[in-house]
Amino acid sequence: MGSENLSNNIRRLRFDNGQMTQQELADKVGVTRQTIIATESGRYAPSLPLAFKIAQTFGVPIEQVFQYNNENS
Amino acid sequence: MNKLHKSAWFNLGFVTIGCFVGILCFVLAASRIEEGFNHINVILCLIALCIIIPIVLIIARKKSYEAGFDEREKMIDRQATTLSVYGLVIFLYLTCFIPFVALGGGNTIKIIYLPVVFVCTVFISQLIKSVTIIVQCKLEQDNG
Repeated sequence: MGSENLSNNIRRLRFDNGQMTQQELADKVGVTRQTIIATESGRYAPSLPLAFKIAQTFGVPIEQVFQYNNENS
Repeated sequence: MNKLHKSAWFNLGFVTIGCFVGILCFVLAASRIEEGFNHINVILCLIALCIIIPIVLIIARKKSYEAGFDEREKMIDRQATTLSVYGLVIFLYLTCFIPFVALGGGNTIKIIYLPVVFVCTVFISQLIKSVTIIVQCKLEQDNG
C-alpha cells in the first residue's frame, strides 16, 4: 500500500486547475475522496490506469504528476 | 464514512446477530436432545440453519458493494480477507488441538460442539475482516 519512492504533484495541479477540490478530482477519475487523499499524501501508490486518468484530468503527461525516485540509481 | 467502512459495520453487525441466533438455537436444541428427536428439535435446527441465509446475504451484499469499491478499497478488502483467513486457520488449529492436548487423544466430545465450532469459525473470520477494515478506515480518517 505504501509508496515510499513515489512522489506526486497532485495538490499543486489541483490548485493550478481552478482550485479543484479532492472530491471533484475523485469524481472525475472515479474513485473515492479517501483514495485521492491517500494518493496525494503518498500513502497509496495508484494503479497505472488511475495514474493515467489523473494525468488526463489535468491534461498533462503522467511524469508531470508522478515521479519515481529510484534510490538504487 | 465510505462504502467500505459502512459494509464492514454492516458485516460485523449481521454476522454477530446471525451467529448469536445460530448458537442460541443449537444450545436450545442440544439441551433438549436427550429428550429424544422431536419436532421442536427439528424446528430449532431449521432456525439454526438460517445462519446460512445471513451468510448468503452477506456475500450478496458484499458483491453489490464491490461494484462501488474503488481500487484502494478493493485492496483493503483483499488484505482484510487474507488476514481473516489466517485468523480462521489459527482459530481452527487452536480449537482442534487444545482439546487434544488438554483432554488426551482417547477422550470424546459432544457432537453439539461441531456446529458451535463452525459458527464460531465464521464469526471469528468475519470479525477479524470487519475489524481490520474498520481500523484501516479509521486510521485513514485520522490521517486526513
